[in-house]
Amino acid sequence: MKIRIDGMETEVTSGETILEAARRAGIDIPTLCYSEAFGGQGVCRFCMVEIEVGGKKRLVASCTYPITEEMEVRTATPAVKEIRRNLVTLLYRRAPDSDLMKKLFQEYNCDRIEPVDPEESCIMCRLCVKACEKVGANAISTVLRGTEKRVATPFDEGSEECVGCSACADICPTGAIPVKEEDGRREIWHRSFEMSRCEECGKHYTTQPVSEHVKEQTELNSSSENICPGCRRKKLAAEMAKVRLHVD
Amino acid sequence: MIKHQVNNPEERMILVCCGTGCLANGSGAVYEELCRALEGNDRYQVKTFAKATGCNGLCEKGPLVKIMPDDITYCHVQAEDVSEIVEETLIKGELIKRLMYRDPATKQYYRSHHDTDFYKKQHKVALRNIGEIDPAQVQDYLERGGYQALEKAIKTMTPEEVIEEVLNAGLRGRGGGGFPTGLKWKACAATDKQPRYVICNGDEGDPGAFMDRSILEGDPHTVLEGLIICAYAIGASMGYIYVRDEYDLAVKNLTTAIKDARKCGYLGRNILGSSLSFDIEIVRGGGAFVCGEETALINSIQGNVGEPWDKYIFPTEKGLWEQPTVINNVETWANVPVIINAGSDKFASIGTEGSKGTKVFSLVGKVVNTGLVEVPMGTTLREIIFEIGGGIQKGRQFKAVQTGGPSGGCIPEKLLDLPVDFDTLSQAGSMMGSGGLIVMDDRTCMVEVARYYVNFLAGESCGKCVPCREGISLLLDILTRICEGKGKLEDLDLLESMSKTIQQAALCALGRTAPNPVLSTLQYFRDEYLEHINNHRCPAGVCKELTEFYIDPELCNGCGRCRRKCPADAVTGEKKKAHEIDLSKCITCGECINNCKFQAVKVK
Ligand SMILES: Cc1cc2nc3c(=O)[nH]c(=O)nc-3n(C[C@H](O)[C@H](O)[C@H](O)COP(=O)(O)O)c2cc1C
Ligand code: SF4
Ligand code: SF4
Ligand code: SF4
Ligand code: FES
Repeated sequence: MKIRIDGMETEVTSGETILEAARRAGIDIPTLCYSEAFGGQGVCRFCMVEIEVGGKKRLVASCTYPITEEMEVRTATPAVKEIRRNLVTLLYRRAPDSDLMKKLFQEYNCDRIEPVDPEESCIMCRLCVKACEKVGANAISTVLRGTEKRVATPFDEGSEECVGCSACADICPTGAIPVKEEDGRREIWHRSFEMSRCEECGKHYTTQPVSEHVKEQTELNSSSENICPGCRRKKLAAEMAKVRLHVD
Repeated sequence: MIKHQVNNPEERMILVCCGTGCLANGSGAVYEELCRALEGNDRYQVKTFAKATGCNGLCEKGPLVKIMPDDITYCHVQAEDVSEIVEETLIKGELIKRLMYRDPATKQYYRSHHDTDFYKKQHKVALRNIGEIDPAQVQDYLERGGYQALEKAIKTMTPEEVIEEVLNAGLRGRGGGGFPTGLKWKACAATDKQPRYVICNGDEGDPGAFMDRSILEGDPHTVLEGLIICAYAIGASMGYIYVRDEYDLAVKNLTTAIKDARKCGYLGRNILGSSLSFDIEIVRGGGAFVCGEETALINSIQGNVGEPWDKYIFPTEKGLWEQPTVINNVETWANVPVIINAGSDKFASIGTEGSKGTKVFSLVGKVVNTGLVEVPMGTTLREIIFEIGGGIQKGRQFKAVQTGGPSGGCIPEKLLDLPVDFDTLSQAGSMMGSGGLIVMDDRTCMVEVARYYVNFLAGESCGKCVPCREGISLLLDILTRICEGKGKLEDLDLLESMSKTIQQAALCALGRTAPNPVLSTLQYFRDEYLEHINNHRCPAGVCKELTEFYIDPELCNGCGRCRRKCPADAVTGEKKKAHEIDLSKCITCGECINNCKFQAVKVK
């Protein structure tokens, strides 16, 4: 099936989202809550675009809209731009302490607005919650509703489920999740974890629960190694080089 | 089971309203007392029964007792009144004046509520059985034609014919969106996936609304019958009734009704000898306004957090457990048996071009008669508020009517002759919603009204998407500032621009309709915003920081009423001489202006 995005004809498969199709075609639609790993969430609405089907125009979230029929997509109409600018204003008002929002606020040339809490930096994109879900820990979730909604551990206490992997903090686009690493310990979400060292370079690189988890998994595959991602890459490159030598 | 025939002259029936409102006022005790008094008493000319019914929509007058076929209505009846009713009315055949219906507008006494303006102008379709039957007795429902529509559908119509009939009737969803019900069913039937589900949306989260509750409590079988007819039409195997958590009586009556329907063979395997096998389960609601939104509701049934999802694929294709699902509102379901029984033409003969049938409204606020009102679509607001509702309380001026629940709009006096239907209300910047009508008088500040609803929505938004969560927070901030006299002219542009973004970008209809209270008041009552901003004055005398009261010495006759009512001792004056307000003491609570019978207290 073919659709047109900003005038460009693009081949799409039925069920694919507009955002995926656009990205493949090299057209950039800005997003704040999207990650390829988890798909569209429909949370930030930054990816809104105009679609026209059978002469009818509509504004939709491109990250969740599945293409099932021919359509014309416009990703930068005045209405779309106005929505994005207002969303940036709203998120800057919420999270003025994040570099991302400061940058976007400038970029979208927004009008001055009184922030709610000058120290807030979370934009509630929920990527952290998704990442934690993916890790299988489910230690954090959104709590409360309405304007009070936020990301937290149950009862704002250290959660038994948390393995201290910091996947949440790593994915956070605004650096809103504090992580402290000191004296071989990592503190995150009201908990403190002992860290383990890389068997190659000796640096602290992850928490004990995580490396134990990895060990359990890898022992089944009879190769037990605790090495950091950096060393792993180096090792892999060395092995690849060997393989290539053989081929040559 | 004993058969009760309403019109059998050999029998007399006493109907005691046992809806939630009347029960709270002691109707349970009235019913028990009546049963005791009637049992074994052979002094009546005819056989007499007592019966507990659903809500009559006249909760303010409750507990309500009706005597049939004499057609006598008694109001505010207490258990102590029972012996008098038995002696005077049942035995001697005399009316008890103090218990009779007294029209609050005309002060006239009526023998029956059927004769009052409040009742006469109504047209009961969805509420046809409520107050007339005992909801716990399937026999009562059967005697009023219950389950005949189901028999007709299953025995004489194909599923396609049933869908056509609903389509031709022009029935549109009563839960808010006004989507054509027949189209929904058709879309679901056209999918190639099984199993399919039907859901009854009984979340009813609008504050002050109780039409769905009164149907679920007072006529549960009609909802079941609607669901079973749909199950037949779309080939569904299972139905769910999602009931707001607080509705205990509705759950109780529905549970009984489902059991009885199973016993009678209307639910279960091979219904009425057909190949249809279908059952219904009750699910108790998650207790949030947003859980009434259909995708949030489905999430809630599935045990997830009650958050909506983008409906780019309709639930008719991908709903409960990702299966094809038809979800309709309680009142929508209650209309279905009527359409099948009477035929689509008959149904479509009521209402307007685009909105057929009737609509139940919950009429509340500063209107004389409050309660549930069912009128044909196209009835004007003026008829509803001034004829049925009896006008504005305490002889004050009408100012606006808020329709459609918390995210509806405020409609001004100049649009009172608007025939009410789905389309006219949307065009006026409001909406039908589930049918809330809140009447406001001249003591209402429209900026404060907008702030009030936005504040409600700030707490009830699920908080998932940015435009709704953050946008509402900003709207609330600005409106609060204006009410405190700190507003700026540019604030109005920001309100409008952000409202537009929220309408266009929010994920679900809660967000998309949330700016209605703001935009409609800005459209019709902009002057009031400007007064707050430019002159730091609240013309209605509501926003405390912006209000100063004074007493007009020409109009004040020194009755002293305001002086006695003032909790701050701020009013002084001698009897029969003009009074004065000491502004240094005044806490602008408004007691004086609300209580002055001569309109002598004014807002500066
Ligand atoms: C915030 C919100 C709350 C809602 N609450 C209800 C409700 O309490 N009852 C209801 O029937 N529909 C409610 N709806 C509408 C439903 O999403 C849905 O449209 C309706 O149940 C479909 O039935 P109908 O076509 O018979 O109206 C609500 C919608 C929104 C956006
Ligand atoms: S903490 Fe970061 S990742 Fe999590 S919701 Fe907030 S901004 Fe998004
Ligand atoms: S519009 Fe509001 S209620 Fe609807 S999903 Fe977004 S935040 Fe939740
Ligand atoms: S507004 Fe309140 S404080 Fe002021 S005069 Fe009236 S009653 Fe007294
Ligand atoms: S990227 Fe589509 S809503 Fe966030």
